[in-house]
Amino acid sequence: MTTASSQPNFPGGTPEERESEMTTASSQTSFPRGTPEEREFEFRAHVGAMWSGSRLFIAMYTFLLASVCFAYFYLRSSNNAQLWRPHNVTAPLYYGWAIYILLLFTALMALFGQTRFRKGSVNDWQIAGWAGVLSGLVALFLQIFEFTKVPFNPGSSAYASIFIGFACVNCLTIFAGTYWLETTLARSLRIRKELGGTNPELSTAFTARSLRANVSAMTYFWGYIALSSTLFLWMFYRF
Amino acid sequence: MSISTEQPNEVVRRSAAPPPKRRAISWTQRPGWMSQHLGTALVGAALGYWLGHWFGNYISSDYSYVANSGQNSIADTLALVMGVVGWLAGIGVLNYPLAKIAGREGKELEDVKDWTRYVRLSSDHKVVGLQYVVSVLLFFFTAGLLAMAIRTELLSPTFHMFSADTYIKIVSEHGTMMMMMASSIVVGPLGNYLVPLMIGSRRMAFPRIEAFSFWLFTAGYLVIFSALPYGGFPTGWTGYAPLANQAGPGMVSYLFGFAIIGVAMAAAGFNIAITIVNYRAPGMTWSRVPAFVWGILATAGLMTLATPSLFVAGLFGILDHTVLTTFYVAEHGGSSYLWENLFWFFGHPEVYIMALPGFGIVAELLPVFARKPLFAFKVVVAGELGVAVLSFFVWQHHIFQSGIDPSMRPLYMLTTELISIPTGFIFLVGMGTLYKAKIRFTVPMLFCFAFFFNFLIGGVSGVFQSDVPVNVTVHGGFFVLSHFHYTILGGLVFAFFGGLYYWLPLMTGLEINKKLSLIQFWTMFVFFNLTFFPMLIIGLLGQPRRVFTYARALTGLNDFASVSAFCLGASFLLFAWTLAYSLVINPKKSPLNPWDSLGLEWQTAQPVPVHNFERIPVIMTDPYHYSEEGAPKLADFGGGSSARESSVPPTDNETVLR
Repeated sequence: MTTASSQPNFPGGTPEERESEMTTASSQTSFPRGTPEEREFEFRAHVGAMWSGSRLFIAMYTFLLASVCFAYFYLRSSNNAQLWRPHNVTAPLYYGWAIYILLLFTALMALFGQTRFRKGSVNDWQIAGWAGVLSGLVALFLQIFEFTKVPFNPGSSAYASIFIGFACVNCLTIFAGTYWLETTLARSLRIRKELGGTNPELSTAFTARSLRANVSAMTYFWGYIALSSTLFLWMFYRF
Repeated sequence: MSISTEQPNEVVRRSAAPPPKRRAISWTQRPGWMSQHLGTALVGAALGYWLGHWFGNYISSDYSYVANSGQNSIADTLALVMGVVGWLAGIGVLNYPLAKIAGREGKELEDVKDWTRYVRLSSDHKVVGLQYVVSVLLFFFTAGLLAMAIRTELLSPTFHMFSADTYIKIVSEHGTMMMMMASSIVVGPLGNYLVPLMIGSRRMAFPRIEAFSFWLFTAGYLVIFSALPYGGFPTGWTGYAPLANQAGPGMVSYLFGFAIIGVAMAAAGFNIAITIVNYRAPGMTWSRVPAFVWGILATAGLMTLATPSLFVAGLFGILDHTVLTTFYVAEHGGSSYLWENLFWFFGHPEVYIMALPGFGIVAELLPVFARKPLFAFKVVVAGELGVAVLSFFVWQHHIFQSGIDPSMRPLYMLTTELISIPTGFIFLVGMGTLYKAKIRFTVPMLFCFAFFFNFLIGGVSGVFQSDVPVNVTVHGGFFVLSHFHYTILGGLVFAFFGGLYYWLPLMTGLEINKKLSLIQFWTMFVFFNLTFFPMLIIGLLGQPRRVFTYARALTGLNDFASVSAFCLGASFLLFAWTLAYSLVINPKKSPLNPWDSLGLEWQTAQPVPVHNFERIPVIMTDPYHYSEEGAPKLADFGGGSSARESSVPPTDNETVLR
């Protein structure tokens, strides 16, 4: 058993112990008076929650996007009043491609960043991540700006309506993904200070492990965004 | 896995070393009025509403949804959106997401110990559970008052209290509020409060999402209530287009209110599902998870996956009202059937979102009062999961009358009939548990019996409605109305009341007056049936719902139903009085584990400590070994807080329990 008197140079315990205490409290993943085994148990539950939470979130989002797809194909096949898409008007193709490429780039940056992060390369992760954030913000701006450039009124056809609906949902998607990426990056920067210089990428502290689970979940979500964007690019701009 | 019962090293070390610096509590969460609470939420909502309305008029002052009507749906919508944002900001929901942008973790929440924690943002699942109890009851009583107005109008076919237009708006508001309330009536209060306790966890997986879901739920209540001052909406709770597109600004409240309730439901379901999957105590294998938790898990799955389509349907409706898209306008390329499909893809799972928690409560309570193990536990689980899965494949039976391709009808007829099989499992398990049991006729048990009685009528009157010929005959009438009141009010709400009477002593530490609760049960049960059984007959005799006049020959039955409904309303007032009397006027401390339950939630200290269990329990078996000789001990509490082990001597019938 370690006592305070045996650690005169480290008030509050050794750096490892301080790290463990501090990160447990700050991440609020565990009961403050728990035994080490309990804290480890609850921490594993927390990491499991990150993993399964991100998958369930994607499942939930799939139902959301599937509802948009259903509306698209329902209105397309109904073609009421011959007003599915008169004169084959589509939303601006270059905006669609630009947004798609930016989202793909962000997803690749997240993936690349995560790979480097696992190997302990702090700079690569940060640079790739912030490039992804920038790219996501530009994509969000373009998606909003596209509302002013569409060559139709929202009520001029079923295609116009569903495109407006999709664009709103897509703004939400891009915002959610970019927010997640940015907050993960900001957290990783702050954690380095909290850990007193220990690399969060390689640390065994609870907070650092939690961050790694978060990065993994976030990357998974961005992969999903890239995949769904491919489908919607095909539906709204090429199909 | 084994959990050490030793005191943590840190405790010893801290006794000698300076205590670690406690993290600061944000001023927003400190005790006192100079912080964030319900008052600041109301102020935020009012400011947001005003700002949104002003901005909407500023950007679209020359716009009106209906020509010369003066109705500006953009301003109305922005007012509601900003009002909700202001509400959430005022209560403090947005503090954490904003802090995360700078990489900071949120400040601690639950520092307030007095009653005001119930009007603040809290990450304690027990506080959120009790907040939900009050909120759903508020929802319930508000919508119940509207039901009284409906029955008052129907006292006479010729003398009218309301105009036809006002009547349909009252019906619509009643239906929508009740459906919103019923979707969260068990998962919100009992799910949030009990699930961590029943799985041996000290916390929820995502407590901030839990708090967010509650405060969004309450915002949904305010938004849907705002439909009344906006002039109401005439569509009923189903909000069908094209009537919805022709309706006034109250429709925006409906669409937005339903959409945000959908988000709140998804968030609540998400958090609870992840908690159950990941935070079960060591030894709590899936076969040892209580039946109630299984019911909540199935419901949480449905809430998470079904509500996104409601959100999309609502978003499209709002876009139709604001930027004049034509999703639901057939003349401009849209389709009113699109709404019907999106709505019912959510709407039928919604029916089981309301039914499954009721099944779970009854399955949990029956063994306690039958003093027998739950009969065929795995069949209960199969029934609950079977209902959940099948509920995604039946939604089109709601639009048999609306123009579905006739060749598709048999498929949906079949899937709807199939769903009665797993529902029947629950009944069989209930009967099996009661067989040769020494039943204790307590108030919660009486509610369980009432559940079976009512749900049987609701189920039997429902199963053949899936047959197309019957559906065609009874559609849109009082028969259908009575059927779903039997399943939702007679099933879910009776189960909820039974659950409340059962778990309130745990939640409050106080005893509920037995005499009053017994009177309340019998009045509720008798007058519920006297209200809704005549409606089955009224419906078969041809009275359509949502119409404020009817054939003179049906006056007697309608009057009988109305008077019974008033008495039913009085029984709910008696419930409020019972709670007020037992909890406030004449509070009496409840004995520990008053029902001699083996449930894990009853084995912790009472009142339940902030972190539920002093030591994480290690689960040894399931909680249904009533009256079994030599049954294994439920859990090892590691010397921590077990009410049974540390606080009280064994009960008189300890041997019976085991």
